[in-house]
Amino acid sequence: MLGLLLPFAAALAAAGDEPRVAPDPTAVSPGVELWDAVRERQPFDAGQVRTQPPGGERGVLINVGGEAWRQFRMQELIPVAARVLGGVAIAILLFRLLRGKIPIRAGRSGEKIRRFSGFQRLVHWTVAVLFVLLALSGLVMLFGRYFIIPWLGSEFGGALTYWLKRIHDFSGPVFGVALLVMIITFMKGNFPALYDLKWVFKAGGMLGGHAPAGRYNAGEKGWYWLAAGVGMVVVVSGLVLDFPNLGGFDRDAMAWYHRLHSIGAVAIMAVSMGHIYMGTVAMEGAFECMATGYCDSNWAREHHDRWYAAITDEKSPSDTATGLVEPAPEPSAATRQQAG
Amino acid sequence: MKLTRISEQPACQSVPTGTRTLNRREFLRQSGLVAGGAALATGLGAGMMRKSRAAEAEAPKGGEIRQVKTICTHCSVGCGILAEVQDGVWVGQEPAFDHPFNRGGHCAKGAAVREHGHGERRLKYPTKLVDGKWTRISWDQALNEIGDKLLDIRASAGPDSVYWLGSAKFNNEQAYLFRKMAAMWGTNNVDHQARICHSTTVAGVANTWGYGAMTNSYNDMHNARAILIMGGNPAEAHPVSLQHIMKAKEEGGARLIVIDPRFTRTAAHADQHIALRPGTDVPLVWGMLWHIFRNGWEDKEFIRQRVYAMDEIRAEVARWTPDVVEDVTGVPEAEVLRAARTMAQNRPGTFVWCMGGTQHSIGNNNTRAYCIFQLALGNMGVAGGGTNIFRGHDNVQGATDLGVLADTLPGYYGLAEGSWKHWAKVWDLDFEWIKGRFDSGSYEKSGDQETPVMNTNGIPVSRWIDGVLEEPANIAQKQAIKAMFLWGHAPNSQTRGPEMKQAMEKLEMMVVVDPYPTFSSVLPDRKDGIYLLPAATQFETYGSVTASNRSLQWRDKVIEPMFESRPDHVIMYQLAKKLGFEQEMFKHIKVENEEPLIEDLTREFNRGMWTVGYTGQSPERLKQHQQNWGTFDFTSLKADGGPCDGDFYGLPWPCWGTADMKHPGSPNLYDTSKPVAEGGLPFRARYGVEHNGTNILAEGSSNVGAELTDGYPEFTADMLKQLGWWDDLTAEEKQAAEGKNWKTDVSGGIQRVAIRHGCAPYGNAKARAIVWTFPDPVPIHREPLYTSRHDLVARYPTYEDRKSFWRLPTRYQSIQAKDYSGEFPIILTSGRLVEYEGGGDESRSNPWLAELQPDMFVELNPRDANNAGVEDGNMVWIEGPEGGRIKVKALVTRRVAPGVAFTPFHFAGVFEGQDLRAKYPQGSDPYVLGEACNTVFTYGYDSVTQMQETKCTLCRIAKA
Amino acid sequence: MARMKFYCDAERCIECNACVTACKNENEVPMGVNRRRVVTIRDGEPGERSLSVACMHCSDAPCQAVCPVDCFITTPDGVVLHNKDTCIGCGYCFYACPFGAPQFPLDGQFSTRGKMDKCTFCNGGPETADNSPDEIRKYGRNRLAEGKLPLCAEMCSTKALLAGDAGVIADIYRKRVVNRGANAYLASGSLQKGAFEALQTPPQPE
Repeated sequence: MLGLLLPFAAALAAAGDEPRVAPDPTAVSPGVELWDAVRERQPFDAGQVRTQPPGGERGVLINVGGEAWRQFRMQELIPVAARVLGGVAIAILLFRLLRGKIPIRAGRSGEKIRRFSGFQRLVHWTVAVLFVLLALSGLVMLFGRYFIIPWLGSEFGGALTYWLKRIHDFSGPVFGVALLVMIITFMKGNFPALYDLKWVFKAGGMLGGHAPAGRYNAGEKGWYWLAAGVGMVVVVSGLVLDFPNLGGFDRDAMAWYHRLHSIGAVAIMAVSMGHIYMGTVAMEGAFECMATGYCDSNWAREHHDRWYAAITDEKSPSDTATGLVEPAPEPSAATRQQAG
Repeated sequence: MKLTRISEQPACQSVPTGTRTLNRREFLRQSGLVAGGAALATGLGAGMMRKSRAAEAEAPKGGEIRQVKTICTHCSVGCGILAEVQDGVWVGQEPAFDHPFNRGGHCAKGAAVREHGHGERRLKYPTKLVDGKWTRISWDQALNEIGDKLLDIRASAGPDSVYWLGSAKFNNEQAYLFRKMAAMWGTNNVDHQARICHSTTVAGVANTWGYGAMTNSYNDMHNARAILIMGGNPAEAHPVSLQHIMKAKEEGGARLIVIDPRFTRTAAHADQHIALRPGTDVPLVWGMLWHIFRNGWEDKEFIRQRVYAMDEIRAEVARWTPDVVEDVTGVPEAEVLRAARTMAQNRPGTFVWCMGGTQHSIGNNNTRAYCIFQLALGNMGVAGGGTNIFRGHDNVQGATDLGVLADTLPGYYGLAEGSWKHWAKVWDLDFEWIKGRFDSGSYEKSGDQETPVMNTNGIPVSRWIDGVLEEPANIAQKQAIKAMFLWGHAPNSQTRGPEMKQAMEKLEMMVVVDPYPTFSSVLPDRKDGIYLLPAATQFETYGSVTASNRSLQWRDKVIEPMFESRPDHVIMYQLAKKLGFEQEMFKHIKVENEEPLIEDLTREFNRGMWTVGYTGQSPERLKQHQQNWGTFDFTSLKADGGPCDGDFYGLPWPCWGTADMKHPGSPNLYDTSKPVAEGGLPFRARYGVEHNGTNILAEGSSNVGAELTDGYPEFTADMLKQLGWWDDLTAEEKQAAEGKNWKTDVSGGIQRVAIRHGCAPYGNAKARAIVWTFPDPVPIHREPLYTSRHDLVARYPTYEDRKSFWRLPTRYQSIQAKDYSGEFPIILTSGRLVEYEGGGDESRSNPWLAELQPDMFVELNPRDANNAGVEDGNMVWIEGPEGGRIKVKALVTRRVAPGVAFTPFHFAGVFEGQDLRAKYPQGSDPYVLGEACNTVFTYGYDSVTQMQETKCTLCRIAKA
Repeated sequence: MARMKFYCDAERCIECNACVTACKNENEVPMGVNRRRVVTIRDGEPGERSLSVACMHCSDAPCQAVCPVDCFITTPDGVVLHNKDTCIGCGYCFYACPFGAPQFPLDGQFSTRGKMDKCTFCNGGPETADNSPDEIRKYGRNRLAEGKLPLCAEMCSTKALLAGDAGVIADIYRKRVVNRGANAYLASGSLQKGAFEALQTPPQPE
């Protein structure tokens, strides 16, 4: 065996003459570099990144956007949404307490004016019902963790949320269609006019007395355009989130669409609270418009003077015949109930 | 959502199952069908967790969970598997932490073997092609029809017109039986995948120092200070071997050098990667040796004592100066020198090679060059050194050893009268009867003598298509091949796809015996004449399997054969019965319920395999090793205490003498630092005692404890007498040994006595650096047939065409004469993916694996991709110079050098752009289909073994 | 108390995907859902390294933080589990997770998400009965309950993927780093090779 080892030693000695690379005691393990790269702590050329099975986001080693999205949801969205929605609710409550219900100052004339067609009401209520469903289910997804789950337990609360989420998923696309129809249906009368500025300056009559308004006042017009614009953003982003497995959008994109969706939805919900309040219990004679399609002529005169003027000026027998103005003094059951 | 059992017999749920065996119906219900029913029943939302877990969870309670020890069926590493079986259903798989090879580790395939227990894409019952439609038939009908046809062909065209293509997927016993069956049928037209995997290794290495096998072991690489991997990508082909390599790297500080045209996943973990031009292995090895000789780094004492004719190598190496090497291989001098220096400075170093080295028309030159490199450095016969040749399939080593080959009998007994007589004696059969089974004439002459057909090499598997298609006048046998058995063979692993399709269409009958229908069932456009017989997997039977390191491991049966499948040895028995030689074939083998007893088969080959020492591995010893995995050392593989104390795990062959002799097996071949009785060996004296008047026995080197301290020839009865050791034999042994030698003495006495005196039965010689019986005695470089450097052909031409070589005309020079490199500018090479294995019919049918590699692809360098206007993910056409074309997805990567393209070879089921899914028998199409790369690969066969040339051909690539 | 962690040693990972199929094997995860995956960077170029990635069972798990139904729990062993009965399949955990661990099977209708599925550290679900049929069906095997570690790590071919108590894993990894550092030092030639070898292996009789 010695014979075997001798040439080995000789070989070593011979090889020893070759120049050697100077040691670098500060050299770090390549693993460190890799993990730094993975965490994006330092710039690093990751070259081609591949994984099996191929495709999708399996090749993404670290989802860097995840933390930012978490911060957004937990530190911004949830607290801000809570404040905004709560703030609006409180504001409405205060407004109610301070101002009380807004009466028809001239009292009911008994004369009914046709304000919305049956189709318009159908569209409105479709959108409204879907909106409420979506809003409630959305709110549960946003805040449910803090009340539904502790209150109902994870099993039942989870199941409830699961079904609400499914309702949200399935009614979303329908809502989108309904919203589109509503935008078209209600477009007439919602274009801004100069006198709307006056309405705005007078804060709809709260400051400085009577504020002029057409078929829709500036507030309603604002709501319309908000619902149309932001609403469509929410609808489109919602559709993106609705079909995750179609693979058109990656995780980062979906997180961004989620941001749009949630911000838009919170904005609409906040404003919708005002709309719902105004449309229901805030003022006498408002709800019946959308409930029955007719409003009291005095209510129209007081709140939509320009519109009232326009239709009364042009009022002709044919209008009566077509039912635009209904002379019958008998209030409908719904109206009565409202008035009561 | 409660999964409910859809059962016709609800009563069976209440039957206490305990240990009772399940009938097939219950078995199916538990393993798969319930899952299907449940999925249907639950419908909505069934996506989250499904299938047989649920079914298993509801399997009859009280069924005890049994742990079964078996061995992975995917590669030659031989990883241990612990299968958990409950009521006949394979419910779990646990890591075998105590297994000496893998310590619980697995690759993707090994970690997914339990899916075999689902087997949804298996071939489920015997099927026959009738009028272009797959028709279910019974086993009886299948065996009768096939048998009648075989006898018909035998009568009209002779036994050589039936080709028996066997498999490395057999266990040892089945492999042995298959070779025996071919012998009983009377043909040497029997072969298996080893031909196209490591045949050049076996020939080249065995002719260098005795045995053509991995000399050390995966575990022994822990001792290596340097590891050179050439033409191998073990990170994908043998992933668990990387566990040992990593250990050597981290704990022993071993340097890892990878030489491969691709920057493989193995290369990614190497200290140095050298990308050579495919097909230039010899120049690169000589290039490294050039530096070694120049610097005097060779082990001169080792060479003097144990190597013959190194000077002739020196003369050849001297021609390979660095500039010539760089010109031919494309590797700059600095790289070559660095590798040579690493190997010289870090000894012992081991040399690993795989298909990248073997699959060339000069494959035998390559493998011999690798051996010579190790001899020059004195790296042989030491722990941490050796040539660690990683074999492919789980039992390709065993199937090779047991002679499923066209040129040997079990135990590498060559086709000669003496060998036949030896085996006739073991089989207790009349030699003349066996001879009478063969064709009576003669196909070739040896000198003036007519060689009997039984002594003539058969047609190798790489060339069976020529055995069908070639003009009968050109085939050195009575008639062309008329019937094929594809018994566990994936045809897509063979080159020249379009011609194979023709051959399959020309055959009179094709019988596929396999757990899966394989590509064979869909490639030919036939209307009839194909039979598909469902074979059981190795998890559905038991027996021994030989890992790459020559260790035999015992597998237990995990589950009963699924569907109507039958174990291979059962099918062989039934076929033999039909063909009328079962009495002879099973003379000393017990057959119960048509199933030959595996242990009897082991014992029978134990009685005959003296050459390679497959004699000491009795079933009892192997089972004992299996039960005591944990007692073997992780590095030396030696049992430390316990029932197997002193044994090396799996009794790596040669395990000399009879089992009673308790030889521990030979962990590292040619290791003289151990006594022969403890697993040491010298180089084998296989080529006589002198050559050209020069002594070729070892000089001044012998094993520790040997009474003969110099070289000595192989032992014979006469030699024992001369040495005065004859009387050490018992009376019985004397009777058996008289006139015999260590290979033919069936008592084992000669071996016993030689070893008792510290000597190796096979003698003690030098390794030979030149093989004077080969076309190129000194391994020299010859350009591939389809070379990218046609300008080098003048200097390094291939061989002359040969008229009859393994019964067939074989072309070399006439192909190389034409320059294809202009029209086909890209070198095409092929290799493995970790997820799939071999032809992939099995692994592509495993959803857990199939999901990971859904597409056949070609790796293209960005430069070539840009030139072809191809982007990553585009479909491209690859066209070969022989007209084959495939449509595959481009994977643009710098993994391959410019001018080189790589394709994996596991895909099949698409042919030249046409999806053949509809042609599979219903429900047995693999999950993933793809073009078979070998549709494009071309002609080219090794000059000794007929290995196919799949590691370098030419192609052109265009956007599809 | 144990603090369970995964660590993938990129120097050893060879992208053999055993962890991926071992997970499928143990938990019968359907096609399309990959609780674990192996990502390779610098694919095909020097510096190529692979990492096996799954749920890392974070201490301050983002998935847990953003879940609208609070369906995640961290077990005393530090394993982050989630409750499929509570899960609503919203995908928020997927947006927040740094490792892409949450997976969503197709729900069958309109390409919506099913309930989230992710690596359980082979610890089943929050069910009280370990390895109950229900738990196995929903979450796969509960190996921790049987005293075993996740199968992906147990079957790793090169022992690159480590799983277990954070302290133990750190020790194993530290040893490897020390070895590699020593080897790198040796390769650079600054230390007498013979001397170091003498430290490592006792003298062999000749």
